[in-house]
Amino acid sequence: MAAFLRFEIVRSLRNVRFVVFIAGFPVLLYLIYAKQTGTSQGLTVAAILMVSMAVWSGMGSAMFATGPQLARERQNGWMRQLRVSPISAPRWFTAKLAQGLLLIIPGFVLLILLGFGYGHVHLAAGRVATLAAVILLGVIPFCALGLVIGLMFDGQTAQVAQMLTLLVLAFLGGIFIPYSNLPHVMQDIANVLPSYHLVQLGWNAVAGRALGMTHVLALAGWTVALGLIAVWRWRQESTTA
Amino acid sequence: MITNNKGATGPAVAFRDVVKVYHPDIKALDHVTFDIQPGETVALLGPNGAGKSTAIDTMLGLRAPTSGEVRILGGPAAAAVAAGQIGGMLQTGGLPEGARVSELIGLFRQLYRDRRSTTELLTLAGIADLADRRVEQLSGGQTQRVRFALALAGNPELLFLDEPTAALDVEARRHFWRSVETTARQGTTVLFATHYLEEADANATRIIVVNHGRVIADGTPAQIKAFTATRTLRFSTAAPDPSELLKLPGVTDVVVNGDAVTVRTGDADGTLPALYALGRQIKAMEVGGGGLEEALIALTSADNDPVTEGVA
Repeated sequence: MAAFLRFEIVRSLRNVRFVVFIAGFPVLLYLIYAKQTGTSQGLTVAAILMVSMAVWSGMGSAMFATGPQLARERQNGWMRQLRVSPISAPRWFTAKLAQGLLLIIPGFVLLILLGFGYGHVHLAAGRVATLAAVILLGVIPFCALGLVIGLMFDGQTAQVAQMLTLLVLAFLGGIFIPYSNLPHVMQDIANVLPSYHLVQLGWNAVAGRALGMTHVLALAGWTVALGLIAVWRWRQESTTA
Repeated sequence: MITNNKGATGPAVAFRDVVKVYHPDIKALDHVTFDIQPGETVALLGPNGAGKSTAIDTMLGLRAPTSGEVRILGGPAAAAVAAGQIGGMLQTGGLPEGARVSELIGLFRQLYRDRRSTTELLTLAGIADLADRRVEQLSGGQTQRVRFALALAGNPELLFLDEPTAALDVEARRHFWRSVETTARQGTTVLFATHYLEEADANATRIIVVNHGRVIADGTPAQIKAFTATRTLRFSTAAPDPSELLKLPGVTDVVVNGDAVTVRTGDADGTLPALYALGRQIKAMEVGGGGLEEALIALTSADNDPVTEGVA
């Protein structure tokens, strides 16, 4: 499994689009917007944005670990080739999950460094560690979401489906637009989205507030639901295809 | 007796009364039964859509049969796959983008626990010069050779090759079959699908002919080729008399449609002089046959049960 994980990470990092997405895009946005002054609920704009961008980068890399690539490789026959090799489905799933989690590290580190160096965010080491843990565990449902997209769509449409899903999750989840600025209807939608709960957890971690059990439970719920859909689709494909 | 890995004797592949239905009207496999013994190199020969790929996918555990029993190396296909005893080269198979050939081979060697060295794999597949290439830069034939290397990585007991030479040029084809022979000599049981009779004849010790999801012949290449001695003569002549034509040497079958005549013969060299000796005016003579298509017609038109020459 370690061999498979290394193989997958090496080729992900060669994917320019992926690297730009997990590192370049959030860094650029941070550089543009972090210098705004102001505070909200005890956090500076620079700190709020550091969390939003780290969440955005984490969601994206978790979903890109599977997502459109899986859809393409189901279509071109590579997944069938893997199925006749000794790697088992649980190991494949575990490796893909680990790939998604490991690949959020570069974007996360970059944003923390920018936050400290460029945004003058001052955080105790403990809070940074809490934020890291929150994001690392909190992107697990997004790994599952990438799997679902990769297993439901074909190679051409998965790319579009993934981008749309990500953008909807980011806008409606209050990552790009503050939650309080959203119209009421959209706030109701945001309340169920995993992106909303993850970014709230991130801000709570940085502000030193209680993390909030609701957010943790919501993310766990999404993980179970999406995980079940992914396993169902996987089984369906391996038995009737 | 050849002993398989489990220490027990038995067929490498046992395919018993297997039916696969994709759609109520389409039986991709229609009560197919055969055994493959350890050490055999077997060709699954048939036209496109005959059921070859479905049969191979079923043996690899990629598809579940609708009914019937499939046992691979004494157990279910999934167990043999998980144990790394099987190598498979599927009919279609892209490679994962972003990877180098050497990385892919390294990955498969590790998945199969280093059963074959990198050098050996590169040589067998004839891709030593491609090791540093990225997958996206490979041609169709090069991709096919890399996939062959992956199928060999585990030094499998059982190797499945589904139309493995489709994208290969003549030279690559020759190299490919030499390597298959090498692995067969080292003890690997090989099953390959093809729609070329010549390819089956040259590389298999046994040929199973399938058409419309049924086994229509099963025997040595010599036995199968005997059917392809059949030729079809098409010509026109005024007021043809079927009973007269049936008496000609070698003729097995006559179809008359107005002036147009189709004669099937097992001995064209004997039939033709006798036909002209009848003194009729023969026009537009065409001699066809010798190919798989003709062999299939000869085999399927035999009224008796599917010809199964027992391979003991």
